[in-house]
Amino acid sequence: MRELLEYLAQSLVDDPDAVRVDEFTEDDGTVVLELAVGDDDYGKVIGRNGRTAKALRAVVKAAAVHEDRRVLIDIVD
Amino acid sequence: MADESEGAEIVGDLLERVVDALGLEGEIEISEDEETITGTVHGDDLGLLIGRHGQTIDAVQHLAGRAVLQGTEDDRRRVVIDAAGYRARRVEALERLADDAVEAALTGGSPVPLEPMNAAERRIVHEYLRDRTEVETYSEGEEPDRCLVVAPAT
Repeated sequence: MRELLEYLAQSLVDDPDAVRVDEFTEDDGTVVLELAVGDDDYGKVIGRNGRTAKALRAVVKAAAVHEDRRVLIDIVD
Repeated sequence: MADESEGAEIVGDLLERVVDALGLEGEIEISEDEETITGTVHGDDLGLLIGRHGQTIDAVQHLAGRAVLQGTEDDRRRVVIDAAGYRARRVEALERLADDAVEAALTGGSPVPLEPMNAAERRIVHEYLRDRTEVETYSEGEEPDRCLVVAPAT
């Protein structure tokens, strides 16, 4: 999931090297992925009306279903 | 595939990563023309890729489109992602919904809103009903709940 989110985010931004995904696991087993991108790239991973962020969540969630996990994606700055 | 465009290559790579991350066994086919790059996944059990109401496959399609734009900077072609005939089945389902809405609008004499759908699907219904002069179609509401309305022609 982490690798997938990183790959997808890198394909959307001007500065792929600035993409960072930190992974935590909460007590209930939920995986939290914190996505950070270059200062000027937040618009690219969020998109108009948040559409791109929503799409990222939908695809990574499908990967989580395959791994039988729950996942939350936080876009952090 | 030696003459595949950069955009087609981006779609193929992205689709391969997604199919792999979802643990699916699927063969990926990329085709392209002047207007559209189409990535199709062939295989069984592609329900996880499609998702409820096509949410997941539409998300993959959106991301692939953005990635092509970002990766090539000038390739503005439409990107379509399909799986196991999903898009064709969806068009048929939308046309049935549209036919039902026309009947309801004419019988009831009032506008009939369809379920919320994305811009691409609203366009399919709108174009399907274009020649039906007894009704008119328009969209109302805000994304993501924007829906197409079928109303008796005024």
